Amino acid sequence: MSGLQTDGRVEQGRLLTVENLSTTFATERGPVRAVDQVSLSLDRGQALGIVGESGSGKTVLSRSIMGLLPSTARREGSIRFGDHELLGSGAVDMSKLWGREMSMVFQNPMVSLNPVMRIGEQIAEPLRIHLGMSRRDARATTVRLLRDVRIPEPERRVDQYPHELSGGMRQRVMIAITLACGPTLLFADEPTTALDVTVQAQILDLIAEQREERNMSVVLVTHDLGVVAGHTDVIAVMYGGRLVEVAPTAVLFADMRMPYTEALLQSIPRLDQPSHTRLTAIPGRPPDLLDPPRGCAFAPRCAFARDRCREEAPTLTPADNPEHRFACWYPVGSAEYLETRERIASGLTIGGRS
Amino acid sequence: MNYWVQRLTASIMLLLAVSMLTFGAMNLLGDPLFNILGPAAADTKPESLEKVAAAKELYHLDRPLPERYVRWLGDMVTGDFGVQFSSTGQPPVSDLVVERFPRSLTLLVMAQLLASMIAIPWALITAARANRPADRISTINSFLLIAMPNFALAVILKYIFGIKLGWFPLTFKATDPWLTRIYQTFLPALTIALPAAAVYQRLLRTDLITTLQEDFILMARSKGVSRRRVLLRHALRPSLFSFITVFGINTGALIGGSLIVESIFRIPGLGSAIVEAILREDFPVVLAIVMIITTAFVIVNVVVDIVYTLIDPRVRR
Amino acid sequence: MSDTITKRLGPLFWLAVGWLAIVSLLALFAPWLPIKDPDSYFLVRGERPPYSPSGTHWFGTDQDARDMFARIIYGARVSLVIGFVAIAFGMVVGGTAGIVAGYLRGRTDKVVSFIFIVFLSFPSLVLAILITALLDRGLVTIALTLGVLAVAPVGRLARATTLAYADREFVTAARAIGAGDRRIIVRELLPNVVIPMGALALLGMAVAIVAEGGLAFLGLSVEKGPTWGKLILIGAGSRELEKSPWIAFGPIIVLFLTVLALNYAGDRIRSYYDVREIGL
Repeated sequence: MSGLQTDGRVEQGRLLTVENLSTTFATERGPVRAVDQVSLSLDRGQALGIVGESGSGKTVLSRSIMGLLPSTARREGSIRFGDHELLGSGAVDMSKLWGREMSMVFQNPMVSLNPVMRIGEQIAEPLRIHLGMSRRDARATTVRLLRDVRIPEPERRVDQYPHELSGGMRQRVMIAITLACGPTLLFADEPTTALDVTVQAQILDLIAEQREERNMSVVLVTHDLGVVAGHTDVIAVMYGGRLVEVAPTAVLFADMRMPYTEALLQSIPRLDQPSHTRLTAIPGRPPDLLDPPRGCAFAPRCAFARDRCREEAPTLTPADNPEHRFACWYPVGSAEYLETRERIASGLTIGGRS
Repeated sequence: MNYWVQRLTASIMLLLAVSMLTFGAMNLLGDPLFNILGPAAADTKPESLEKVAAAKELYHLDRPLPERYVRWLGDMVTGDFGVQFSSTGQPPVSDLVVERFPRSLTLLVMAQLLASMIAIPWALITAARANRPADRISTINSFLLIAMPNFALAVILKYIFGIKLGWFPLTFKATDPWLTRIYQTFLPALTIALPAAAVYQRLLRTDLITTLQEDFILMARSKGVSRRRVLLRHALRPSLFSFITVFGINTGALIGGSLIVESIFRIPGLGSAIVEAILREDFPVVLAIVMIITTAFVIVNVVVDIVYTLIDPRVRR
Repeated sequence: MSDTITKRLGPLFWLAVGWLAIVSLLALFAPWLPIKDPDSYFLVRGERPPYSPSGTHWFGTDQDARDMFARIIYGARVSLVIGFVAIAFGMVVGGTAGIVAGYLRGRTDKVVSFIFIVFLSFPSLVLAILITALLDRGLVTIALTLGVLAVAPVGRLARATTLAYADREFVTAARAIGAGDRRIIVRELLPNVVIPMGALALLGMAVAIVAEGGLAFLGLSVEKGPTWGKLILIGAGSRELEKSPWIAFGPIIVLFLTVLALNYAGDRIRSYYDVREIGL
């Protein structure tokens, strides 16, 4: 793989540092802040899970880091990738990094591959653009990549069009495209949501396996805590454009503090339920980002919210474990939390649920 | 396969219907004898009557309409377009066609080529800058061009490029060498091409803008493909459908327009041939030209269908 | 809200309508207007016509010293009547055939659609030449000929619109309460088909006016009196263009503005109602 690498590549240690990143969209009805003051970091080889409901800003966050936003979006803050600053003056040309240093697996493989281009061409394109490979070398590499992502008969598949492949196969092709130039950072935005349940695990395992093999960092974006549980080192939970809880995966599952995270966990689908029911599992809707609530964004839907929650927004602060941060006034396990739970259990209701 | 059989049947039906319509209209509305024989056709003098009878016999005008139609159809299918109705001998229709057809074909092919060569880059540029000032101005331009009647545009182009600037000749000489005639055909071709280009640009721009919002375009960008290459290699091909469909349908309209443009720039093509033939009620010539035009139209639309399958692997049947 | 903004037709629309109104009124009242006689020869001693535009002849004169301004106004009479009669004929015949075909479907639809295709694949100008050459070249013949050509495009739109509406709830509802076919077509479908057809009528009128010009260039327009097409033709020769461009450009500008106004108004009406359609 040495031939594929760029000068100044991070071989170990800190790969990505995001500081106070905000992304605002100019819409007809006013500015919408879809990502609000997010800070996080990622080491080479690490896997980060960004978890939240649809509308929580997790997809915008990943695209903001990668710089794949429409022209109506404005980013503020700082994104450092290795030695490069990606934001503001002196930012590097993203299209030099895209596909080569960082790439993205999109949610729906049915619409994310070019329908009128052979899959071989689509995989070879970054190889030819970034690495200047000859047509023949690119084809050989393409076949090898298809084999890497477990596509049977790769020599035949290279010349097929996307519509000749199943959804799972197409997602494998997409992964092959993103892996082609050996990037150090891979974003996977709901990579399994559009796929059959039986294929989902295979795709996640494939990403994990390739991460291991290539010492690649992965950002896994999902609404499903169950997906990130076995495939990430760190989890960041998002709500209303903000991070509300960040912790190493094991710590989070052992001791989750944010009621929202807890609610998400309770909404993990079970195999006996149809997969699309899970999104509605938390009652109420995500906040209107045009007119965000004054206090904690989750307060209107939170069973444990009190007056302070509605008045004052909590910030992300470390718990006893400095790696575990959360934004909640009355976190899981606090006296107030326990009191409220007691009350709910005894059948009394309190205000707060909408 | 089934599809192509159906397509072929429909095309043949269409050609038959058009030929019947033309044949019927000409024979029911016109009286060619007057044009062949002059005043003698209406005479009742014995020698005139004889002439009339002879002419009727010669052109089978004494037979009932359906029989004449079938006769004509049979001849035409075997490649015989018959002879011209004329008072001076009976030159074969095919002579006229062979002389005139290449000029009209050149004009039309040049026009469509020019139109595409203008429309595609124009659409790519405006789609990449959708709704920004350059695109807005272009929208106004194409609206003006589409509204412009071809004869008015012909006069304007003739005035600017032919008379004021003197860049292009205003005469067409059939005896000039091939390349000179192409040069002489440029201005007429541009007259046909400009409004067509505006129509194509509108369609292609809209489809490109839709395609550019597809996920696979974002995917291509995320691979590090440059904007330019995304536009040319990823967005253009899947956006060509409406453009190609209308390119085919438009051919019919352009043929109509080219009749007028030919006459303004004095190109002796099929346009002037059919006008002259209609005026002297020369049925075989009119029929031959109508059939050529309609066949060309049918062929272009079949080609359009074949091009579809080349562009999009999903519609391969 | 934003839809009130898009719902407005805009000042340009009213400008277009204003232009059309002025041209129509001038054409309608031409004989009573204080303009020169279109057929008189205003020869000036010692000067050879054509005369360039001046205070006496606003648009100049043609080679026979006839006043172009008056001729353009009288030309409007013919051109507008042709446009109007043609599209009215196309609307009545094509509209009826299209709605009936779209409503009844089945074999009727197949036959009618095929006839439309035949007409659409026939180079329309050839058909126009054919009819005008074989019949007389009076105003009514030319207008009706162009009307015949309008039947297929109008019919196709009427059919498509009807197909789109025929399965809507309100039609099903009308059928459920026992309304007859004729009643459904007239009461339920027609009002919905009328708006897109109205927009098409304006565009179609423009097409018919242009088609008259085309026929004029082939020497096949109305025999008597000036028409816009004939006026342009007179000035379109190379020598005329070089020496007296105003002869061609006067009527070109008026014709173009009229066609533009018709196109723009038609376009606006169409998108105006499309917006409302989405808002429903």
